[in-house]
Amino acid sequence: MTALATETSFSPASVAAFVESRNEPGWLQDQRRAAWDVFCRTDWPGRRDEEWMRTDIRLFKLDKFSLPAPVEAASPAPVSVLTEGVELAGASVSVDSWPVSSRLDRRWAERGVLLGSLDQLVREHGERLRPFLQRRIVDPHYDRFAALHTACWSGGHVLYVPRGVVIDLPMHLLSAMRDGRVDFGHTLIVLEDGAEATVLAETASFHEADGGLHCGATEILVERGAKLRFVHLQDWGRSVWHFAQQRAILGCDASLQWTVAALGSRLAKVNQHVGLTGQGGSCQVNGVLFTEGKQHLTYHTLQHHQVPHCRSDFLYKAALQDRSRTVWRGMIKVDPGAQKTDGYQRNDNLLLSDQARADSIPGLEIEADDVRCTHGSTSGKVDEELVFYAMSRGFTRREAVRLIVSGFFQQIFDRITIQSVREALGHAIAARVREYN
Amino acid sequence: MSDFIRVAKVADIPDPGKQTVEVEDAVLVLFHVGGRFYCLDDVCTHDGGPLGEGRLHDHAIACPRHGAKFDVRTGRPLTMPAIVPTRAHEVRVDGEEVSVRINEA
Repeated sequence: MTALATETSFSPASVAAFVESRNEPGWLQDQRRAAWDVFCRTDWPGRRDEEWMRTDIRLFKLDKFSLPAPVEAASPAPVSVLTEGVELAGASVSVDSWPVSSRLDRRWAERGVLLGSLDQLVREHGERLRPFLQRRIVDPHYDRFAALHTACWSGGHVLYVPRGVVIDLPMHLLSAMRDGRVDFGHTLIVLEDGAEATVLAETASFHEADGGLHCGATEILVERGAKLRFVHLQDWGRSVWHFAQQRAILGCDASLQWTVAALGSRLAKVNQHVGLTGQGGSCQVNGVLFTEGKQHLTYHTLQHHQVPHCRSDFLYKAALQDRSRTVWRGMIKVDPGAQKTDGYQRNDNLLLSDQARADSIPGLEIEADDVRCTHGSTSGKVDEELVFYAMSRGFTRREAVRLIVSGFFQQIFDRITIQSVREALGHAIAARVREYN
Repeated sequence: MSDFIRVAKVADIPDPGKQTVEVEDAVLVLFHVGGRFYCLDDVCTHDGGPLGEGRLHDHAIACPRHGAKFDVRTGRPLTMPAIVPTRAHEVRVDGEEVSVRINEA
């Protein structure tokens, strides 16, 4: 493992060779080289940065990891938990940041839909994807992690739905990672005017204790009148470092329902942004976080209203046990002139142990004067009276706590319109709840 | 219970003085005060500030962010805004070697 890391660690020579080896269009190679220059000129975020002051990455050592390298096409992937019993329109799978399989029903391929590995599709449809990859939906130079990702991304998935195409079955995107490996997946989802789609995305390790590095990005473009339901389950092993930039842009009358479930990783730092750039755009974001052990999950959300008459609704709920920690920092930003904005953000935290800690920092930055923006945050422990009542009806303490945790998340589950997702998340969380006295 | 892990040499840290060390999956601060060594998590329990960057005065370390102070011998908070102790770890000195045993509690 040490030898492998030495041979393919992140050096100027190895990254240059990596870029050369990928047989990609020149504009994409230029993008990678520019990002590598930024990476080399930039320091890792420090604890004096407001965004990182509650997220300690001093123990993260990039030189323990290697650049993405080919894996066998037949590499197995973990079992999907989101798609049990679900009929799919298509699927794309990567392992260790390398594409291993993809399929798309012929009826959608015939209508111009693209689904599969971004690696392959950017070679086959480079000119079609170029405007989206050059649009900087996610800022490629936002920080050192973003620059590293832009220089070295590999694997990931793309879904492109042309104008007016309504896909009635979900698409499935699975990114798997073996112990100690990397996932630099870049996911691009584009729905042109009037298109509709549902995407179930999962990132998963093979075993609960697995380690690794995810340094990824998700770019979503929902154009005029298009509708996207996007579900993302992060269930990495408990030793994985997870750094992600995720951003969606909504056009006029576009709608996005984005459900995030974060259960895995050792430390996660996620920036999740939604930009409302066309009048009548509407987004609903549902976040479910469950942490245990020494896990540390940080979410920075931004709902950016750039034009009038848009709606955004962010609800994040976190349950924490053991010594785990969450940091949630949300911002509603309303640009001058973005009148009649309707923005909402809320973060609720349920502390299941005395040593868990949740930091919740909602914020508003409003430069228009005719808006409705509300935010709220709650943090509390399990109500012992509720536990006592449930136990008096014959439940064990653990069953009682499970019931209370399920009830805590029910508000979000009620907003998730896909039954398989509701059930998968409910089961995954219930299985994790331990007994506390 | 975990084993003692060597983290520094006595001569590495002046008296009084401190040094940040990485042990397993934790970042700790080692203090050398009055001829004895002490070890705390490098975490202020108020806002997660790095105690290793704070000012040491006798047996009190002050968080550089908001001024909360902790007793380096026990991790006990001495002033607001911290009200919860930070984790203290057992330290052993064998000749020139300073070792720490992680407190898993």
